[in-house]
Parts: sequence; C-alpha cells; structure tokens
Amino acid sequence: MASRPAWAVGVCAGLYAAGSRDVVYVPDNPLSHVLAELGEQYGDVRLVLATREEEAFGIAAGLYLGGRRPTVMLQSSGLGNSLNAITSLVLPYQIPMLVVVSMRGDAGEWNAAQVPMGRAVRSIFDAIGMPHTTVDSAAAANDVVHVTGTTAFGTRTAAACLLPRRVTTS
Amino acid sequence: MSRLEATRIVVEGAGDAPIVASLGHPAYDLFAAGDRPQNFYTWGSMGVASSIGVGLALAKPETRVFVVDGDGSLLMNLGSLATIGLLQPANLVLVVMDNEAYATTGGQATPTAHGADLAAAARALRVDAVVAATDDELRRSLARAERARVILAKVTESAPSAKPPLDCVFIKHRFMTAIGNPEPATRTGS
Repeated sequence: MASRPAWAVGVCAGLYAAGSRDVVYVPDNPLSHVLAELGEQYGDVRLVLATREEEAFGIAAGLYLGGRRPTVMLQSSGLGNSLNAITSLVLPYQIPMLVVVSMRGDAGEWNAAQVPMGRAVRSIFDAIGMPHTTVDSAAAANDVVHVTGTTAFGTRTAAACLLPRRVTTS
Repeated sequence: MSRLEATRIVVEGAGDAPIVASLGHPAYDLFAAGDRPQNFYTWGSMGVASSIGVGLALAKPETRVFVVDGDGSLLMNLGSLATIGLLQPANLVLVVMDNEAYATTGGQATPTAHGADLAAAARALRVDAVVAATDDELRRSLARAERARVILAKVTESAPSAKPPLDCVFIKHRFMTAIGNPEPATRTGS
C-alpha cells in the first residue's frame, strides 16, 4: 500500500465522518491522493467522475435530492466553470454539499495562467454568499473538512474547504 | 406533436416516478401537463437538468428517473452524455424536447435546426438513443430499458400557458418528501 500524504488522509477521514459516501470530482493532481485513498480505504464511498465542474455540482445536487450527502472535489480553476450551477441551483434551492477545492494560483504556484482565479476564489465565494474555510495545515485537514461538512448538511448550506498548495505539496 | 403533448405523454409514462425539468419552457410545460410533487422544476442552471437526473438515478437505483430537457440545454452540457455513457444508470430516461430552437429566449435556431444530430452524439458517447417523432413512438420509447436511454422527441413549439411555483426551497421540500427522502423538520441526533 502506498503511503498517502497526511493532508489527503485527513480529508478522506473528515468527509467520511461528515457522512459523505459520494464524491463527485473533476480530476486534479493533488486530489489524486484523496481519490486513491478513498478507493483503497473507503470501499463504501462512491467516486463519480464528471466531465466539467458545473456538471459535478448538478450530479451532487441530484444525489442530495435522492437522500445522499455529496462531496464535490475540484481544482480552484474549475470554480469559474461551476458558478452558474452554484448560484442558480445549489444556493437558491438550499442544497447542501461539501465542496473540497484544491487551490492553484496561491503561494508556490509556477503557472501564471492559474493566478487570477486562484487569487479570486475567496472573494467569489464571499460575493455569492457561500461559506468557505481554509485548511491551514495537514494536521487540521480532518477536523476542518469534518466540521465544514457537518455544518453544511446540518444547516442545508453548501460550504467549501480550500486546500492551499503549501498544504497539498507538503 | 407539440412539446406540451409530448410532456403529457412523459408524465403519463412516468407514473409516480420523479421528473426533473430544465428551466424555461420544458419546466413550464411540465407544470401545465400535470403539476405533481414528484416534479423538480429548475429555475436556472441551463444544461444541468440531465446532471441532476444522473445524481438522482445513482442515489435511487430502484427508482426510474425522468428528465425533460431541451435541445439547446443539452447542447450546453454535452459532456453529460459521456457521463451517462460511462455510468449507464439503467433507471435514467433523458427526454430531449427537440424543437430546434432556443424557444425560451425568443426562438433562435439551435444547431439541430441545421442538422446537428443529438441521437448520433448520444450513441457516439455510448448512450442508447431513440428518436420519437410521433406520440406513439414516444409512448413506446418510454418502456423500461436495460440501459440508460436518451429519447429525442421531435416537437413543435407550443407557447406555455402557466409557470411552476417560484419558491425554489418549496419545490425541493415537496419533491424530496414525495420521493421518500424528506428533509428532517427538526434536529435529529446529538
């Protein structure tokens, strides 16, 4: 069994503890550790690949309507692709989901094309009224993801956990 | 066959099963054809109705899930066909009301008016697809199938006469209760 980074192990434990058994995702490099950990250690978590982030939010909304507690995983660059589904479906219908965002464009970025959206992520979440929390360290991942998920499902408010590059590259 | 007539046939064929409707005219006609708690009317997110249907079909494999989409909205989320082809939720029926126009926004022609073939696109992405040009064909196409299915209903535009409830949270509550997943009214657990 490959050893996984501590932050990825924590994300998996946190979303599982929040009751999520469905993870809808668009692939991302750091998140590959989370997907591998889920695949190996959490046999009852369903992984659903989406072709685009907006689609992922739609699938997650359908899962919730069907009685599940969905998680959406995406890279921050895909937030732009998601906004119509978040603002005109997830938020107005009060459809809760746990959203795990792997950050690009923050400290440690090498690709200039990732920077503008990376800088804007928190402002966008604030502007649309969606709660977000940043995972500040690998050790905090489990607790932050767990509490964010529990609060999201308890209050029927979709909420995001941001994973900075300095955590996901540690 | 008008879209309203086609929608009535879908409602009849769905029985008690949930129906998710794309925003605008498909949702308006679903309301007019038969408002029922198992209808999930979207008021936004053009293109995403089929994705909601995929998630619902995965969550409730024992329940048939119907989606009433439009040609323009499916074109906005064609990747959804690839996902349906990958997952093959056998309980999913995606009915595309193909009027060859963006009717809700004033009738601008869609690519299907110029020969774009959404049934061929679905098949290329591993989704069974049938074209229903008459009411009989549509009725037959709604029969239970072994695999996920796209039904391309060739319809004429019929100006909708009614609109569904505006309250999104009401729509959600009513829908979830009707399909057996009511949201708790009080706090449960510790």
